[in-house]
Amino acid sequence: MAVASLLAFAAVTGAALPQTYSRPTPSPRLTDPGALAARIRDREVHERFARGVGAEERSDWNAAAAEFRRVVALDPPEPKGSSARYDLALAESHLGRDDVATGLLEEALHRDPGFAAAAANLVALQLRRGDRAAALAAAERYLAIAPAAFLARYGHGLAALRAGDLPAARADFRALIDADPAYAVAHYDLALVELRAGRDDAARAELDRALALSPAYARARFALGTVLMRGGLRADARVAFDRCARDAADPALRALAIDLRDRL
Amino acid sequence: MREFLRWTMAGVLALGACAGAAVGAELLVDDPGSLVVSAAPALLGPITESGRTGWDCAPEHAATARTASGAGLPRT
Repeated sequence: MAVASLLAFAAVTGAALPQTYSRPTPSPRLTDPGALAARIRDREVHERFARGVGAEERSDWNAAAAEFRRVVALDPPEPKGSSARYDLALAESHLGRDDVATGLLEEALHRDPGFAAAAANLVALQLRRGDRAAALAAAERYLAIAPAAFLARYGHGLAALRAGDLPAARADFRALIDADPAYAVAHYDLALVELRAGRDDAARAELDRALALSPAYARARFALGTVLMRGGLRADARVAFDRCARDAADPALRALAIDLRDRL
Repeated sequence: MREFLRWTMAGVLALGACAGAAVGAELLVDDPGSLVVSAAPALLGPITESGRTGWDCAPEHAATARTASGAGLPRT
């Protein structure tokens, strides 16, 4: 009885206490001008990226450039900022503005020093522009970012060969052959290194390997013809130029091969 | 007369082209340094807004691949 009375008293006094609630969570301030502007900017970056990539995929480079110029101006955080510069560089390059494109790729790499695709495209552009020192510098940076990358080694080999650094070019093309022995192009480029070093026998061996891997490789067949001709093997050289003339898709190479064949 | 001039001009141009090709061929045989180095690699393709935040970015894969085919390089 006493216990029941005690419980009844406790229920009455408890009910009389004021209700307590946890502190309300602040509601999101979506109408705050700053937050609203940020959301609008993020949305615009998102939409322009999608439209820009779509334009690049259908090779509409003017439309792509306009979209990515706006994204760059909106200055999104990483990795979007460097990706936008990379995409804009791609469009500018296709519009014939390689100088602008190289500047954008430099900016992308400044923002993200590990951006391998930007480093790769910078090497390709500098090689295309024929700036040997810039190509070699870009290739060295790419190789530092991705030392095991096949494309980095290939770009460095081409840049070194064009710059006349034969030991570096030889090391690069040998590394490519070690990584992918069936890659005929590396054998061809190694042959050019050996030819420039005056080692015709080593060059001929590499050209034979390139042609064993890819018999219709017209450029390698032509180079073999010149090596055979210099070695006094005129009949073999004639066969090589004749085959080159049949395989070459490039009309200038075909004309040269026909000219040399007909002289032998 | 005009026809004669036209044929003379065509002949001169053809001779010039032949001479140019001959000089080019001599140069290539005598100077191995004039043989053309392989082409520069093609530019890698576009990257989407979220491309580099995930694992599905084709240009980044190509740029770090360890084989020629992975890097998208031509075989000749």
